[in-house]
Amino acid sequence: MNFLRKIFEETGKFVEKGKPLSWAYPVWEAADTIFFSTNKQTSKGPHIRDNMDIKRTMFFVVIALIPCYIFGAYNIGYLNALAMEIERGIVGNTIFGFTYVIPILIATFVAGAICELTFAIIRKHEVNEGFLVSCALIPLTMPPDVPLWQVFIGTSFGIIIGKEIFGGVGTNIFNPALTSRAFMYFAFPTKISGDKVWAVGPDGYSGATALAIPANPVEYDTASNLFAANTQFDYSTLNMFWGLIPGSIGETNKLLILLGAFFLIYCGIASWRIMLSSVLGLVFTALLFNLLNYLTVDGILQAGGFPNAMLTITPLQHILIGSFLFGTVFMATEPVTSSHTNTGRWIYGFLIGVLTVIIRSINPAYPEGVFLAILIMNMFAPLIDYYVVQANIKMRLARNV
Amino acid sequence: MQKITIKKGHNINISGLASREFSNAPTQKFVSISPQDFNYIKPKLLVKEGDQVSLGDALFFDKTNPEVKWPSIASGTISKIVYGERRAVLDIIIEVDEEKEKNIESDKQINLSSKDNVKEFIQKHNFWPFFTQRPFNKVVNPSDSPKCIVVSLADSSPLANDLSFSLAENKEYIISALSNLKKLTDGQLYVAVRGDNFSFLSDYDFINLIQVEGPHPSGNVGVILNRVNPLNQNEVVWTVQGSHLPVLGKLFSKGIIDFSLNICIGGPAVKPSYIKSRIGARFDLYKDSLLMENVRIISGNVLTGKHVDIDGFLGFYHSSFSVIEESYERPFIGWLHPGGKSKYSVFNAYLGSNKKSFDFTTLQNGSNRAFVPIDAWEKVFPMDIYINALARSIEANDIDEMEQLGIYECDEEDVALCSFVCPSKSDVGAIIRKGLDTIYFDK
Repeated sequence: MNFLRKIFEETGKFVEKGKPLSWAYPVWEAADTIFFSTNKQTSKGPHIRDNMDIKRTMFFVVIALIPCYIFGAYNIGYLNALAMEIERGIVGNTIFGFTYVIPILIATFVAGAICELTFAIIRKHEVNEGFLVSCALIPLTMPPDVPLWQVFIGTSFGIIIGKEIFGGVGTNIFNPALTSRAFMYFAFPTKISGDKVWAVGPDGYSGATALAIPANPVEYDTASNLFAANTQFDYSTLNMFWGLIPGSIGETNKLLILLGAFFLIYCGIASWRIMLSSVLGLVFTALLFNLLNYLTVDGILQAGGFPNAMLTITPLQHILIGSFLFGTVFMATEPVTSSHTNTGRWIYGFLIGVLTVIIRSINPAYPEGVFLAILIMNMFAPLIDYYVVQANIKMRLARNV
Repeated sequence: MQKITIKKGHNINISGLASREFSNAPTQKFVSISPQDFNYIKPKLLVKEGDQVSLGDALFFDKTNPEVKWPSIASGTISKIVYGERRAVLDIIIEVDEEKEKNIESDKQINLSSKDNVKEFIQKHNFWPFFTQRPFNKVVNPSDSPKCIVVSLADSSPLANDLSFSLAENKEYIISALSNLKKLTDGQLYVAVRGDNFSFLSDYDFINLIQVEGPHPSGNVGVILNRVNPLNQNEVVWTVQGSHLPVLGKLFSKGIIDFSLNICIGGPAVKPSYIKSRIGARFDLYKDSLLMENVRIISGNVLTGKHVDIDGFLGFYHSSFSVIEESYERPFIGWLHPGGKSKYSVFNAYLGSNKKSFDFTTLQNGSNRAFVPIDAWEKVFPMDIYINALARSIEANDIDEMEQLGIYECDEEDVALCSFVCPSKSDVGAIIRKGLDTIYFDK
């Protein structure tokens, strides 16, 4: 320990103010405080401070994601074994999966670190640990067989356009991880538009995702029947919960996502209001669409575009299909880009749920609507806050007579 | 009696709470009054080193409001006037002459029948500095008429002086002080107490007694006001420190000037105790009670107090010293620490933390970072004010918005807990003060 401390103290002298290498101070500071907690002291009141800091806050989000990584790796191996019709065992499947996950992770972190450090040096601010969370989230939203150069470009775009050009962590409008996801969705649609399954299989291996099945049915039927009729993958409700279905790396196992959600809520890091209200919004809209389907299909109303099998997806299926839960728990709750007031958080979350179902069901071009819903609401979060705060101002003015 | 319950907040479980008994200590030889303890004043000295002064003599006045003069808090000799940068007066140190203090005559002509009489009497004895106002937390302008007066006897700050103990022998003075305070306002006189403390006050009709419950900052004047009678633009509320009530009471009832004050010393780095002392007491008299060498002595509480040297003095509005260890420790990968007794957090971020009273040090426990709104401030800020939006408007220098969002209701002490919990280690109190300064100097 003392040896390591000495290294930092010696190297620290090179990056002091006025020395030729002083531009590298943010990099040195980042490394130094990773190994040894800062000994920065309070200067005036409050003379004592809580032991929670941004490093630990961000690190806790990463901890909540680790189970998703492990299951994601296993699932890659499992689906591959299914496609190749071989038996590999749990450990074998997981190791096989990690050979896909780790390169993506490395590509993401290299791209993220280059962007973050470059900006820290240019702007002369300290490296913010927030980029660790963005970089830990991005691989989980990727298909396992995504080309690494695409990951690299996508991450860079997300960090720079999503965050740094707005001034870095704390001042960004859009969630950087989702920005990079959206960029890749539109820039490289052949790989990640979400209609064809993301599984590592033999050449030419393909199939329909759970969302693509009711979106493009051969013959109209309810979503539940269409799922049951699919023989390639088990799209039963229970299996979609356990997550042995194709999808992006981190989204499939709903139990682990829920565990992560409870962990973050318990630690006081993520907002339960956003999570709960977006589920409520989704259930509300899904039920509304179920009703709409009932009215149109059973002949009471006649309208263009019907019947639409997407309208028959039940609220529970909506929650389990695709990356809704993952997005709600880890993306929508990102504190900087979501609403900053509790009232605002309820509205923000609810509308994410509503928009998710609308984009999924009404717009056939986008099978997955969660990331678009969250990005749209990121954009509106300041507006929601504005009106919430205005209500407070009006209350204060009314009192002042 | 009105009851208010504060839910948001946090009682910091810091070790070193003094038990409710007085320990013996030698009498003070030196006391000091520091113009730095008063916001927005421009002091002009009326004395110089070597001058003889008596209790209550004017020491200096405020150039922006010459009516308000500061009393000498002891009889004796001005032994030293300490200057800081740009010749700011830091301390006016008085060597106490006990004989002279004993022989001082009380004021026999007490006429406190009306508001103006009370004001004249306060003016005569230079007692205005005991009265502070909200907004801005500054000494009052005597010509203002406050919409109400608030006194908090329920200080909830960490290791606070427990007034139900330290004021126990001063019942009649408290009542005398309060009854004359009531004359200064046409509105209510609110007195905040905790539980059954000071229950004798409920016998008096002129007191609007408020029973507060809940964690810190529930005992803060600003928080109580926000609940019972919110401060609006262009309104002024006066307040006095609960610990100063006996001083005021003695003057009002008997014409005696007596600046004695029961103070408490607490904190992890000191042997905690209550001591019969006086306003402006010097710490070095109590240095035998220190438990270690590297300490930070704080006049006031650990959240809003002032860092003083070992031979430093108690701030004018303070009634306690807090002592914590100056730590320079750098634990290896501390942010990965699982928890236990060495960590304290209002977040559930450490296993098994917060169970026992905690030895806080001066470590900031993290580097300064951009603000990430994970609802930390809101958890411990009980007013109906959007503190995050307010802080943004202050950073943007938008005076209109600051006023609309309720900056007048806030003071540094009300948001001190926000800084305590902030994971980005922001100083919210400094932000609020910056906003108040902007408005104050704009007018």
